[in-house]
Amino acid sequence: MDLSQIIKDATTEIFETMLMMEVNPAAPLDQRAQKFTDSVSGIIGLGGAGGGMLAIHAPIRVAQNITSNFLGMDVDEVNEDVLDAIGEMANMLAGNVKRDIAKLGSDLTLAIPSTISGPEYKVDCPSTSLGVSLPFSIDAGTFLVELHLQKAS
Amino acid sequence: MSKKVLIVDDSSTMRKIVTRSLRQAGIEIDQILEAGDGQQALDILAGEQVDMILSDINMPTMDGLEFLRQKSAKDAIKNIPVVMITTEAGADILGEAKSLGAVGAIKKPFTPDMIQQVLGKFL
Repeated sequence: MDLSQIIKDATTEIFETMLMMEVNPAAPLDQRAQKFTDSVSGIIGLGGAGGGMLAIHAPIRVAQNITSNFLGMDVDEVNEDVLDAIGEMANMLAGNVKRDIAKLGSDLTLAIPSTISGPEYKVDCPSTSLGVSLPFSIDAGTFLVELHLQKAS
Repeated sequence: MSKKVLIVDDSSTMRKIVTRSLRQAGIEIDQILEAGDGQQALDILAGEQVDMILSDINMPTMDGLEFLRQKSAKDAIKNIPVVMITTEAGADILGEAKSLGAVGAIKKPFTPDMIQQVLGKFL
């Protein structure tokens, strides 16, 4: 199961379709990032046989830029719009991942997304056997999408 | 003729995007109402007549499928067409939505053209 390709496809489709933005994926991180500084994270739990979690982590400036493109207006603070937009981004990414995982014979259920923002915080991940953290760049900077799944039965 | 649409989604961002997409799709709507979940939608529908409902599925408090179930039991609102706008595009979930009365579905992410294709026949 090529999780990197699944994330690349999902992220590219969402950014090109709904934000009219070009995203460029980089090589997956060797080690999962746990600590984030001045960032916004959208996290969604995945249930089912291959359950786990999906998250998007963006520095504040990148999160504001994504929100601005989402809503078609200037965003210069971390407000409810930014938190909601990054949470919805996690939701749409998880929906696309669910669709692609289903084609491989594994079923996922989606929880309600949650968001975190702050000067410094840590995001833990349940122990899983499959996982990838993939950076993407846009004009405003770089953000990270990570997907962790139990091995499909 | 005056058209009124109810958008049901727990994401305020998505409600704004759907509103903008309806305008960009050239669909003439006079009033757009918003609800954050199925229960809020039922509360609004108790006092408002609308021509179309666009609803997410994955929502807290009352999800889109339960909303369809409860709506279908109320004579005053059961015939209002509902189109699902959702990340949950699996055949099983959309099949259940259809069996509960949904007349169409739009998968997130979407473009104004996709909105127009599905909603054009209803509005």
